[in-house]
Amino acid sequence: MSQLLAALDASWRILLVGILLGAGLPAVFAFGIRALAWGSGGEAEDHAVDEVNKPSLPGRLVAYSIFTLVVLMVLIGIGYIAAHGMGWVITFDGIMPVFTHK
Amino acid sequence: MDDVDPVLILMAIVVLTALAFDFTNGFHDTANAMATSIATKALSPKAAVTLCAVLNLVGAFLSIEVALTVTTAVIRIQTSTGGVRPELVTDGGFNILLILLSGLAGAIIWNILTWLWGLPSSSSHALVGGLVGATIAGLGFAEVKWFGEAEHLDGVVGKVVLPALASPFIALVVSAIGTKIVFMVTRGVAERYREAGFRWGQIGTASLLSLSHGTNDAQKTMGMVTLALIASGQWHDLEAIPLWVKVACAVAIAAGTYIGGWRIIRTMGHGLVQVSSPQGMAAEAASAAVILASSQMGFALSTTHVATGSILGTGLGIGAKVRWSVAKRMVFAWLTTLPAAGAMGAIMYLIGHLVGGAAGAFTVFGLIVLSALGMYLRSRRDKISSANINAEWKEDPK
Repeated sequence: MSQLLAALDASWRILLVGILLGAGLPAVFAFGIRALAWGSGGEAEDHAVDEVNKPSLPGRLVAYSIFTLVVLMVLIGIGYIAAHGMGWVITFDGIMPVFTHK
Repeated sequence: MDDVDPVLILMAIVVLTALAFDFTNGFHDTANAMATSIATKALSPKAAVTLCAVLNLVGAFLSIEVALTVTTAVIRIQTSTGGVRPELVTDGGFNILLILLSGLAGAIIWNILTWLWGLPSSSSHALVGGLVGATIAGLGFAEVKWFGEAEHLDGVVGKVVLPALASPFIALVVSAIGTKIVFMVTRGVAERYREAGFRWGQIGTASLLSLSHGTNDAQKTMGMVTLALIASGQWHDLEAIPLWVKVACAVAIAAGTYIGGWRIIRTMGHGLVQVSSPQGMAAEAASAAVILASSQMGFALSTTHVATGSILGTGLGIGAKVRWSVAKRMVFAWLTTLPAAGAMGAIMYLIGHLVGGAAGAFTVFGLIVLSALGMYLRSRRDKISSANINAEWKEDPK
């Protein structure tokens, strides 16, 4: 029974982190795609044929800063996998990761 | 031949079999990372398996942590430091090696059988099942660790069964939420721009999954091989793994990945849900987040279960059509993997034990080769390869 409770306890934590990162990051990425559509002058958005949309620089800037952020998160993920493989334990102090060797 | 110690022969066979298992582990799991990227054509089939294989190879070398405790969670043949319990190797380690061999045999046969059926079953479940079955046959029921103590998740139930029940649902929920948000945010963005943009996201998340697969799964085989060396008295250092073992395991899993389990990739990319790029990225991001979060918490879950849960979730998230007949067969494979691989492991042990000595080991090895060959030949009747991987899905091909 205590095994079941322990599993449930771990499950909801994973669910929480999962939603935050696993659903959050694609959502952020989606905003980037949206901004890219503005950046291409709305060409990338559904619009009428005779409508002319001017490209917008802010749209492009926003898009690429969002993509940079997502790439950064993926790099952190890779760093995390590597550190774990090397036998480091990563704990979080607030949101700042703390590395300790096992 | 007569003057060669049968323990050494058996050890060599165990090492070879472990590498063969590693190979099946590779092609069985290519789908977890790459099925959606191949289905949405973010990557060509060949590019996908190549990328996945390279990242698995890199991942395998990243894991320098000593994985000698691979079996301790489920069977009691090791001491707390990772060595083999001395009272079990008074016969020179023969019995322990036969257990390892039989367990691997059960796992390999089940892996190939589920591949033939195109079902993404868990390789780690197959390995655990095989080892538990062989241990029951070889040492008795009591040497299997079924539960962990109190709150500490351990044993067959705590480390394998409970996470397996929870993880597909967690992944499903995360992926469904992610998919829903992604579609809401990008509503109105022209289809072709949306597809193109998300393909990049897909490649990134798929790479993350491949790398993490390499670090986790290759390590299991490295642990098994080293354990066999220790049991036969050929290796004594409990703090390190021989370099050749590491290289051999890394190459075996990468080679398996490169071969690509096309039958399984097809089921996951097309059979369950027809995925689009945004869905693919949402599903893979969900898988990666759930897998990394669980490994942080020491919650041992199967990549396969997470990946299938995510793909199912991405279909449900936007109310797309889900082929429940395929999903049902998949769930059936999940439920049967542990007992089926266990039964095969136990039968293999009994056969090996009855024949006895080096001949027994050869018999078990021969049975693996024969059944693998038989299933491979059967698979050629309805061949699935990189050439027809994206063909239209027909309901329940018989």
